Amino acid sequence: MRWLATFFSVLSLLCAPSAPAQTNAAPAAVPLQVPAPALAAAPAPISHDAQRVYAGARDKLVQIRTVLRNSDTQASVGSGFFVAQGGLIITNFHVASQLALEPERYRGVYVPVDGKEAPVELLAFDVQHDLALLRVKNAASNYSSLSFRGSDAPLARGERIYSLGNPKDIGFAVTEGTYNGLVLRSFYPRMFFGGSINPGMSGGPVLDEAGRVVGINVSKRQDGEQLSFLVPAEFAQALLARGANAKPLTQSAYTEVTRQLLVHQEQLTQRFLTTPLKAQKHGGYSVPVFDDALARCWGSGRDADFKAFDLERTDCQMDSYLFAGDITTGLIQMRYEAYDGPKLGAMRFSQLYGQSFGNERFAVQGTRSMTASECSERYIDRQGMVMRAVVCMSAYRKLVGLYDVSVLVASLNRPTQGVQGRMDVRGVSFANGLKLVARYLDGFKWEAPE
Amino acid sequence: MNTVEEPRLATPLATESGGAQVDEDQGRQGPAGLLGLIDVTDRHGNMQARLPVTRWPVTVGRELNSDLVLDDVHVSGQHLRLTPAAAGHVTVQVLDTSNGVAFGHKQHVRGDVFDWPVGHPLTLGRLHLNLRLADTPVPLEQPLPRRLWRATLWSLGSVMLVLLLMMAQVWLKIGETQNMLQELPMVLGGALAVLVVWSGLWALATKLFSGQAHFWRHVRIASLAFVAADLMEFVSQLLAFAFSWENVGRFGYLALVLAAAVGIYRHLLVAAPQSRRGLALGVTLVVLLGLPTMWGTQWLKNKRLSNQLYMAQMFPPDWRLAKPVPVPRFLDEAAGIEQRLAKRLKDKQDENGTEPSAEEEQ
Repeated sequence: MRWLATFFSVLSLLCAPSAPAQTNAAPAAVPLQVPAPALAAAPAPISHDAQRVYAGARDKLVQIRTVLRNSDTQASVGSGFFVAQGGLIITNFHVASQLALEPERYRGVYVPVDGKEAPVELLAFDVQHDLALLRVKNAASNYSSLSFRGSDAPLARGERIYSLGNPKDIGFAVTEGTYNGLVLRSFYPRMFFGGSINPGMSGGPVLDEAGRVVGINVSKRQDGEQLSFLVPAEFAQALLARGANAKPLTQSAYTEVTRQLLVHQEQLTQRFLTTPLKAQKHGGYSVPVFDDALARCWGSGRDADFKAFDLERTDCQMDSYLFAGDITTGLIQMRYEAYDGPKLGAMRFSQLYGQSFGNERFAVQGTRSMTASECSERYIDRQGMVMRAVVCMSAYRKLVGLYDVSVLVASLNRPTQGVQGRMDVRGVSFANGLKLVARYLDGFKWEAPE
Repeated sequence: MNTVEEPRLATPLATESGGAQVDEDQGRQGPAGLLGLIDVTDRHGNMQARLPVTRWPVTVGRELNSDLVLDDVHVSGQHLRLTPAAAGHVTVQVLDTSNGVAFGHKQHVRGDVFDWPVGHPLTLGRLHLNLRLADTPVPLEQPLPRRLWRATLWSLGSVMLVLLLMMAQVWLKIGETQNMLQELPMVLGGALAVLVVWSGLWALATKLFSGQAHFWRHVRIASLAFVAADLMEFVSQLLAFAFSWENVGRFGYLALVLAAAVGIYRHLLVAAPQSRRGLALGVTLVVLLGLPTMWGTQWLKNKRLSNQLYMAQMFPPDWRLAKPVPVPRFLDEAAGIEQRLAKRLKDKQDENGTEPSAEEEQ
């Protein structure tokens, strides 16, 4: 199936050379880097409010770096902010994930706006909401910190808010934007920030006009302008309450990450199983897609230069992805294609149909984080409609008990007509994976009178 | 010994072979008084020397007083003595040589006496001796090689078959008529070019080894091997689809390998027709060693023999004969994946150093 490779490209705002998104962005940023003063005069003129907000937050704002222990070179940079006495810093989990997962290889440091870098240690993290709590090592007590805006004063849509951080390690910056409510259909609450934030600003605070923290920079859409996302501040408060007195993590925290991902996948599976799938009709076929409440779906018609048969395609993805270290997981995607080629004849149709069915990618080779796929395939009977079905799974090596599950089906009941569907689930338990597959297969039906 | 052999020179052969119509003396001796002819050829069949035999016995060696003087360091001064035996035969006496003489598969050493019939070469040193005797009938006249219409038809037919198959494939694989028409000349031209270059190279090799190119024979072999491979692939895919025999589809390329091996064997045979058994053995060895090597590499890399994860080839729905299973049974079977993945997790070798995302789909 010629699926759109990515119809959602969400960029986490971690600035690390290994992340492909950054390498794409780097050339564009090069000319901007040369005249450094020009950078301060960003597209929109900074208002006096922004100036005031930045001035108020300046000494509470930090850059977080993970540094390779051996070579002392930085592996990634993000942002963060002091959140309480005792040198406690909030940032994103994806900024600090290397400290959590490979503490023997990486150490963390923070760099204040005008200070010298100093080591930090990881106290606690929340993979689901992409937050981490750090503490300055051997902290003195005199760190001033930002305060949170209380939940009794919710933000109004259109309210001016200010995102702070150090984009691409260029220098600390403040970006002005608007609060646009919560992101629709996001699995966990995410704030929609109408402003531009960039890699390296991950974990930086977003403040209201009074300088109170309302959210934390986390990601943006690459296929749009000023479509940025924030973690609501309440989750940072919760993490702070939970982890302020925790002991610093010194061992690799795969067990804890796995535990949190298992909680996530359980919630995800429950949500999927309790929300009925929507039946999309296609020339006699009934094909499952997500309910509108659960995920966005995008449809597209046949390619203009492909007249031999009619092709319609729908892609859906649940907004539930999590960044766990260098892997993105915890999401469900669904896609289907409906084919109709009455003029082709059965033989030619089946050839093209088979080409499309074979044009699917699975992990043939294992990687450091995943095993290679193992598959199972059969002709299955869906209430009288015969389908070819393939299930492929691969296991996470270090997140023990989590799997990626893919199911691929193609109807085989009509000579010149058919539907092909694929569902991908990332990071679920084996049993839940099979439950989701069963649910998905259940959605296929042939309804037209023969 | 010499004294024993001498009398046989004149009499016994004559009485044995004397036929009703043939005069006795004439029967043993051509009009020019020739009793026989010994040709000496090198390994490539090139003539090195020729001795018209006018008297027996004939001595062969490097010494200049031999009847047949050979220039081969592996031949001794006095190597052989030949005396006439029954009609169409000569008796060979191996003289003072350490290398001896090979006849057929047998090696004869100093002092051996054996029978040498006409038409079978004798090997001494690096040279071959071929014998003709006046009293043995000449083989029938061979027709001159002509461009036979049958062979031409075969050649044309096999090329047409290849082109037809290519056309059928293009027709099946490209849904758009216009795209198909655009693609067709390229595909057919490409196929012809590959066929000509391939057969041409073989013809070149054949010319090198046996003097004649046999281009069209190579064209026929290549075409038929291609057609056979294509048909076998089609059949294996069809069987896989019809009966849900995924492994037949997965390893259908073995049929292709077989067709290719047979084809290459036939090509080689045209180039070097004398070493039929050696070639068969060589090609078989290459296949028998090559396949396990390939499987071994794949196994070490991905812990599976085929990288085809699932069967994708489709045919019209009516051609499916395998019974579909209910979904719960399909899921039960899929549950077996857990075990297989557990094995992969245990196996550290599966963990090769590719970066995550390198193989993953987007």
